[in-house]
Amino acid sequence: MREHVYDVFARKNRGDPLAHVGYVDALDDETARVYAWKTYDEENWFEMCVVRRSAIIPVNRDDGPFAGGRSEEP
Amino acid sequence: MTQFTDEELKEKVQGGYIVESVDEMTDGYRKALVVQLTVQADTELMSAPAYWMAARHAPSTNTQVSAHAIIQDELAHANIAYRLLEDLGESKEHLVYGRQPHEFKHPYGFDQPLENWAELVVANGFFDRAGITLLSDVYQNTSYGPLKRALVKVDMEETFHLRHGEVWMRRLAKAGGEAREMLQRAVDWMFPMTVEWFGLPDSMKRHSGQLAYRLKGLTNDQLRQVWMSSTVPLCEQLELNAPAHWDPVKEEYVLDYPFPCRYDEAAKRWLFEEGEISWDDVFERWKARGPMNETYVESVQRSRREVARWLQEEAAA
Ligand SMILES: [Fe+2]
Ligand SMILES: [Fe+2]
Repeated sequence: MREHVYDVFARKNRGDPLAHVGYVDALDDETARVYAWKTYDEENWFEMCVVRRSAIIPVNRDDGPFAGGRSEEP
Repeated sequence: MTQFTDEELKEKVQGGYIVESVDEMTDGYRKALVVQLTVQADTELMSAPAYWMAARHAPSTNTQVSAHAIIQDELAHANIAYRLLEDLGESKEHLVYGRQPHEFKHPYGFDQPLENWAELVVANGFFDRAGITLLSDVYQNTSYGPLKRALVKVDMEETFHLRHGEVWMRRLAKAGGEAREMLQRAVDWMFPMTVEWFGLPDSMKRHSGQLAYRLKGLTNDQLRQVWMSSTVPLCEQLELNAPAHWDPVKEEYVLDYPFPCRYDEAAKRWLFEEGEISWDDVFERWKARGPMNETYVESVQRSRREVARWLQEEAAA
């Protein structure tokens, strides 16, 4: 049961910027969607999406919060 | 990446520097943050079984829903805090499922049984208020960026838990009779329980890394005062007896009982008449944990082991 880290992005209203609101561990994309929706339910989000951390490619720093994902095998 | 010495990092964070990754931390900073987050995560996690077992006393389907919504929030808060710990190199799996009940770091208050609706709503009114008091201070002052961001959600939801507690405390107080009696009885043991939760008085407190690393902003006594500054007026407004009052000369809330003092777990009663005890006695009681410690931890861990065993059997077959 190997879980992956998924980062959660959401915007509250139309026109708002998409913001990083947190992250969840999940077995696959489907459970990640459910965990994200249920865990970060503090707002009535206009839009929410998740992305597997290993898919994020850091551009200018290798020690930022999103850098850890690259070491995870796909 | 520039590596700071401990002294340099302390100076930087006091000046407003925000730490974003583990690479920037000194060993001391990381350790202090792990201790803080472990207490936070364990408190959120253990509030869930405590509230869950109390939720069966909910008086209607609507209140069942609100009680379970609070439990769901607490589990999400716990998950978020353990996830932050994982980023610091700790194992969530071990922290949640690998520890013995007495190794958890939540306050003694969440080792107590909540046995009726009055106790659940006073827990929301008092314990969740303590949670907000502690976490708002962390939110306003922490030098750790990922924690500050995570607390936006937590603060928002804790405010709902507190409102739930206050609304229901008001309702029970107004009803009078047995409702008010049960409410007062809950206040009698839960008020001193929460006061004690904030820990050693500043006059006895050993040097705290959490303040030096700017992981929090207020001292134990200051936090205790913040909690009392909203809880005592609430009780006064509801005409409930709370053993503390405002002292206009000292300009602070003062307790009307020997602090700290002994607690009779079975009778749910503070033994004011036996006088003040030492903080070593309190630490001993905390270390022994309270009556529901094993039951609560077991309820969180049990199925994990069982299902893991099924899956292993399946893999072996
Ligand atoms: Fe919480
Ligand atoms: Fe809460």
